[in-house]
Amino acid sequence: MASIKLAHITKNFGSVTAIKDINLDVVDGDFLVLLGPSGCGKSTLLRMLAGLETISDGAIYLGDRRIDGLPPSERDMAFVFQSYALYPHKSVGENIGFPLLMRYFRWWFHIPILGSIAKRRVERSPEVAQSVTRTAKILGLTEMLNRLPRTLSGGQRQRVALGRAMVRQPEVFLMDEPLSNLDAKLRTTMRAEISKLHRNLKGTFVYVTHDQVEAMTMGTKIALLRDGQLQQFGTPREIYEDPANTYVAGFIGVPAMNLIRSRYSDDGFRIGPAAISLPERLMAAARKANGPTLLGVRPNALRIGRSDVPDTLQGTVVLVEQVGAESNVSVELAADAMSVEQDQSSNTIIITTPGYSELEPGTLISVSMDLEQAVLFSEKTGERIRD
Amino acid sequence: MTSMSWRHGMHISAVLALLGVAAFPIYWMLVTSLTSSAETFADVPRLVPDLSQLPIYNAVFSTTQIGVWLVNSAIVAAGTTVLSIALAILPAYALSRLQFRGKGLLGLCLFASQMLPEVMLVVPLYAIFVTLGLLDTLLGLILVNSAFTVPVVIWILKGAIDSVPVELEEAARVDGCSRIEILLLIVAPLIAPTIAAASVIAFFHGWNEYVFALTFVSSEGLRTASVGLAGFVGELITPIETVMAVGIIYTLPAITFYLVAQRYVVAGMTSGAIKG
Amino acid sequence: MAQQLLERNARTGGRWTPYFFIAPAVVYMFLFQGYPLLQEFTLSFTETSLLSPNQSRFVGFGNYLQLLSTGDFRRTLMITALYTLASVVFSIGLGLATALLLNQQMRGRGIARALVTIPWAAPPVAVALVFSWMYNAQYGIFGHALRYLGFERLGSENWLDSPSLALTAVLLTTVWQIFPFSSVVFLAALQGVSPELREAAIIDKADRLNAYKAVVWPTIRPTVMLIALFTTIWSLRRFDLIWVLTQGGPVGATNTLVTELYRQGFVYRELGSAAAVGMVGIGISFIVTFAYFKVMQRAERARE
Repeated sequence: MASIKLAHITKNFGSVTAIKDINLDVVDGDFLVLLGPSGCGKSTLLRMLAGLETISDGAIYLGDRRIDGLPPSERDMAFVFQSYALYPHKSVGENIGFPLLMRYFRWWFHIPILGSIAKRRVERSPEVAQSVTRTAKILGLTEMLNRLPRTLSGGQRQRVALGRAMVRQPEVFLMDEPLSNLDAKLRTTMRAEISKLHRNLKGTFVYVTHDQVEAMTMGTKIALLRDGQLQQFGTPREIYEDPANTYVAGFIGVPAMNLIRSRYSDDGFRIGPAAISLPERLMAAARKANGPTLLGVRPNALRIGRSDVPDTLQGTVVLVEQVGAESNVSVELAADAMSVEQDQSSNTIIITTPGYSELEPGTLISVSMDLEQAVLFSEKTGERIRD
Repeated sequence: MTSMSWRHGMHISAVLALLGVAAFPIYWMLVTSLTSSAETFADVPRLVPDLSQLPIYNAVFSTTQIGVWLVNSAIVAAGTTVLSIALAILPAYALSRLQFRGKGLLGLCLFASQMLPEVMLVVPLYAIFVTLGLLDTLLGLILVNSAFTVPVVIWILKGAIDSVPVELEEAARVDGCSRIEILLLIVAPLIAPTIAAASVIAFFHGWNEYVFALTFVSSEGLRTASVGLAGFVGELITPIETVMAVGIIYTLPAITFYLVAQRYVVAGMTSGAIKG
Repeated sequence: MAQQLLERNARTGGRWTPYFFIAPAVVYMFLFQGYPLLQEFTLSFTETSLLSPNQSRFVGFGNYLQLLSTGDFRRTLMITALYTLASVVFSIGLGLATALLLNQQMRGRGIARALVTIPWAAPPVAVALVFSWMYNAQYGIFGHALRYLGFERLGSENWLDSPSLALTAVLLTTVWQIFPFSSVVFLAALQGVSPELREAAIIDKADRLNAYKAVVWPTIRPTVMLIALFTTIWSLRRFDLIWVLTQGGPVGATNTLVTELYRQGFVYRELGSAAAVGMVGIGISFIVTFAYFKVMQRAERARE
């Protein structure tokens, strides 16, 4: 069973705490994505799983077995490195077969002539040779088995690295930003291939990335980290639709969720002077908050509309970005309304409208909101307020 | 005891043994220089210096010509340094940045010059020295020594110039700098640490050089320290502690100088060697 | 006029600029290395005495033939080969071991790296001097140490005076002096070993030796080869250390090509045969270098 359990994992580098009390439960067959900006500790966490980094506190379980004291070679985990880490002087076939060779390696293989005979026997044994051929076939590398890594393209190298991981048939695959060195188009292809691999191999994958698209498309679970702390752990859908705090809300989604400064008091829910009627679910949450709040609305839940419709906000267009299929319109709200994007205060919100927008900067418009999917946060803590 | 700490202990002792081997001969030179004649020839050797013998370091300056030798060596070394750098910087830049016919040949000749033994050139150089009136002068030594250091210095400087971003120079060219101005105003300051390293290497060469100093200089007053020191070999009059004291006085400046500049020397040297 | 031309060229980056840049050094190098080398080359086909260098007689390949016909010269070649090979193998081996040792994490590593390079910084003449004192039969520290360890016979003779031990003694001194150079360069090369590759080997269950063979050696191999070439060439021309230690003696036991060259020229005063010895030495250097690049090229091609 390749379920993974991280219990109270902490990592200190000197006096700096890189990872703070992280708990995660990964079910067998999950594709867990560790997501976060650079320096959030996601790679450190992955390396601790692999055993390349020690843990300062806590425990790691693989199935029922506690593994945090074991050396990397005894954890039955394969690791795909960001730079692929292919052995430069070994051919593609030798690279893929290396983990198997090491599995059958005995100390006396180091004896010069005897050792090379023994090594060759291992390499040609049906188990090893067939695994290598099979792996190469799955990855479309059959034609390249005798080539050296440096003669391959980035995508092919990436596949060799995957092959070296697959050939061991490990219980767990660990991948550290494996697509970050590829160009955009290839990245999309490899994304699909890795997803396919996951479905076919049925192993447990742990995948580190800073790219939310990779996380959303590939992961069955996402753990979003920031400054070594777990912000939210859930399915991609939960993370997108049900963010736990303003950080998660701002990190996931392009353009980011708008956070509009708002307030609940005895005379109802207001954004600036405008009274807004909320769906019952949100109203209950707002009542509970009873004070300053942030209303989280995705850009595609906003409409540019006429001002005579109720629940509208007034603003001025400041920038129109044409993406092609849609347009992102930045609107500066009237001075008394404010939005909070990430940690920076500004009164600009972004609206995504389908098609090519003809709006000119400087135009006065009103904005109507579809609040069915909206969420509410406490302005003070940034935490989600639920009803 | 775990295998981990056992391995660590092995590692530490191996490093210590290595350092002992590396430092011992120099240490032994120091110990011998600070051992009285009586103890030097005792049945059991003295393993630590006798500090009461320290005045010998004062005495050798009057009992031997070491003062004069050191000055001569310093002049030769300094001259070699300045001349080598001055001659090397332009070709280093050309080899790194400019395209021209014969570039490969020039590189090959520089490499080939590493094969020439000094001794072999002594005779023809002697004739040239007679013609140019350089015989028995320190200037002559500076000129021949530089011929052997220039290729090395060119190679080291070329390695450093290679790593200066071309964009910087292009920016300067857009701003109206000539090649010479670029070299002197933009490139030279950026590779200053490497120039320092190359200087140290050239200085050492001049300081250590023996063959030319032996054959081209005959006046007592122009003798360099390497020749002076070698003169003690096989000679039985000068007490061994005096010889070793002179050796230390000649060696320590080199080692000290090297240790101070070590970081740059290593960086300069290896940049050329690793890139090949 | 010339000044103007130079300036215009430098400013416009004309096609003569590179030549202006290299001209001073080229002229200089030709005067002090190229021209003397040509002179030596001509000299090697003549019979010329040091006492009257202007009266030389053309003898064709006479000097070369004479050299190759004498057993002494063949012995010199053997000793040169032995000296060079041993210097290279031991200094590279010790240098590599040192580099690997000092590449590991430990306290005081910076100091250790600096101290280990001391031998390289010491002047060869001073090194020769202290080693010949250490080799002294009666009072040298080697003798004391060997006798203390129970090697009575080995410890009671001056290695430099013994035809069977002198070459070993010279080699010990040489290796001591030159191994820091290779270790310093190898240390720098080791910094180029990718940490990810090292970790990949660990994940793949490679033991230390396998990880070294799969990761470290391929990375530093080109550097090791290059330093081997340099050490070879430098060993073929090393003079001061050997000369001050033994002058090529006793009875020619440490007589390499370069000391033989000096002997021919300044002891026997035969400039012609001295030049021929020198040309043989340079020829060997060229062959070694040529072979080196051929082998490297083939290895390179085999990898494609």
